[in-house]
Amino acid sequence: MQIKSGSRLLVAAALGAALVAPASAQTIKIGFHAPLTGFAAADGKSALNGAELAVEEINAAGGINGRKIELVVVDDQAKADQAVPIANKYIGEGLKIVVSGSYSGPTRAAAGVFQKAQIPYISSYAIHPDITRAGNYVFRTSFMGEVQGRAAAKFIGDIMKKKNVTLITLNNDFGQSLSAGFKEAAPKFGVKVISEYTYAMGDRQFGSIVASVKRDNPDMLYVSGYFFNGGPLVAQLRAGGIKTPILGTEGFDTHNFIKIAGPAAEGVMITTSLDRDSKSPAMRKFIDDYEKKFNTPADMVAASTNTAINVAAAAIAKAGSDDPAKIRDAIAGTKDFQVSTGKISFNDLGEIYKAAQVQVIKDGKFHHQATIDDPQLLAPPMK
Amino acid sequence: MYYAELLLVGLIWGCTYAMMALGLTLVYGLLRILHVAQATVFTLGAYIGLLAANYSGSLAVAFIAGAIAAGALGPLIYRFVYQPILDRPPFVALVASIGVLIAMEDGFRLLFGPYGLSFEHNTWFTTTYSFAGMTMNLVQIWMVVTAVVLLSAFAIFATRTRAGVAWRATVSDPPMAESFGISVSGVRYVNFLIASVLAGIAGVLVGLLNNLVEPGMGSVIAYKGLAIIVLGGLGSVPGTLVASLALGVVESYGTVFLDKVLDRDAIAFLFLIVVLMIRPQGLLGRR
Repeated sequence: MQIKSGSRLLVAAALGAALVAPASAQTIKIGFHAPLTGFAAADGKSALNGAELAVEEINAAGGINGRKIELVVVDDQAKADQAVPIANKYIGEGLKIVVSGSYSGPTRAAAGVFQKAQIPYISSYAIHPDITRAGNYVFRTSFMGEVQGRAAAKFIGDIMKKKNVTLITLNNDFGQSLSAGFKEAAPKFGVKVISEYTYAMGDRQFGSIVASVKRDNPDMLYVSGYFFNGGPLVAQLRAGGIKTPILGTEGFDTHNFIKIAGPAAEGVMITTSLDRDSKSPAMRKFIDDYEKKFNTPADMVAASTNTAINVAAAAIAKAGSDDPAKIRDAIAGTKDFQVSTGKISFNDLGEIYKAAQVQVIKDGKFHHQATIDDPQLLAPPMK
Repeated sequence: MYYAELLLVGLIWGCTYAMMALGLTLVYGLLRILHVAQATVFTLGAYIGLLAANYSGSLAVAFIAGAIAAGALGPLIYRFVYQPILDRPPFVALVASIGVLIAMEDGFRLLFGPYGLSFEHNTWFTTTYSFAGMTMNLVQIWMVVTAVVLLSAFAIFATRTRAGVAWRATVSDPPMAESFGISVSGVRYVNFLIASVLAGIAGVLVGLLNNLVEPGMGSVIAYKGLAIIVLGGLGSVPGTLVASLALGVVESYGTVFLDKVLDRDAIAFLFLIVVLMIRPQGLLGRR
């Protein structure tokens, strides 16, 4: 029985190898996990779109040294407990590099596994600080929450010249790290946090926060969250008669935010890494190609996974080998690389440096408002 | 004034909860089933209402379409999910119900996409009225009016009509009701119909209030609904209404004053635990 099933397996493996051999000798496989179902499925879809666009364009341009790349996509449901089995599956299949298109929970859990196996791992847009602390094989292509929060403080204090700010913070690692960065930098720019309210991921009704903001009467609001809670929140603030200017975060960086908030979205500003009016050819090309391919405007999540796949592909090309250690070194050496999210470089911790964009919503579209390029303020932590 | 506004916000939330929880209480009273899948009915009502509104441009059509779709789904769930397992212990039906909720959540995602949908012309949301420093929009006003009208209509139905008396008789003693010529199975269908229509209308209203209809919109309210019916004293209709309003108000103050410590959804369950420690039979339940 044992021998029989074993030989059957061998036959199956041989058959399988024969069928895929012509392609697999050529293709380079990149692992990619994202929340394709579950509460974060909307971001998962953008994440996959952005990554697929990158693969398509890299392959159309001849691939990497003549070899095509291929994504090995797995759904992680944005759940941390799914991440470790997924990581082990990728390692078992012999993948040499993996990109996370997911949230902090699963990305943080998988980072340690990849570090141990010495497989390069790039987090596209998960923001928890511990992710890159897993070790030298883990990189991140998005802003850390703290960095984006500092950029927001500078924008409100230096450019908007507002003083008294109320924070409305999403009660998870994303919202809290934004809030921490903001509060740390606020005094430097003469900004005073007069009150802060927090809300949970599932909240869609914000009546008590609206009433409280009305009482506090701040000069400006700094609001974190995602489009699905930020959209209703902004709409309810405006419907409650509050005309205070609002600065949001990259979680609102999707046209779905504008659809939900409707007329209330007009004039809302966000900090992000995608500049819709950009003159950078790489960013411009991504925005145009994405809209053409998917018939929907690009967003921050898609731009981030697109960037991560491009970083991975460029590193494999530069390493000139499938050796994970060489690929790691190539990623770490990425400097002033022009991608969909701007000009990027990594520091020793594997964190990214790039300029922060402030976009404003006008006539139902994102437009350029300001660019914050301050290497000292936006420097990611080194450890 | 600030505290009065928080109270008002809480009462509006309470009205939403009441429309959902009444249906749960009705089903529990009749069949001893914790009908978690009511949230699926709620979400379907919201989706159909939104599609109807965006297609026809009329919010009245949205409510009718949402109520019809929800009113059809509830009895179907009874017929094909609960009826075949009525002779099993109640937790079997609860597990089946949770199964329906989870499966349908991804069903909605496949049908309508993961991003959620918004109303194209949500005129009720943007129409606001200010009085005494408080601002309410038309959806919130309709939420209160609809809840009061529908729940009063239900009270009249239950106490003043023959069908209502038959329904109450079936709740207290099914075999006896049957021997008086009441169709127990008919009463059950009517029961699911009423519960589902209320949930469907609540779904459309919540969709308008958030200007967002999304696959997972029912899951939080489903479990909170269970907390409410326990809080009210299982099977007690007046208790459910009191508990709904009380929870709305507690959450409204809690989200502002306890937000650093507890999530809004955790407040509901903390409130439940505290009440059950003091009154194990629920707010209006009998020992």
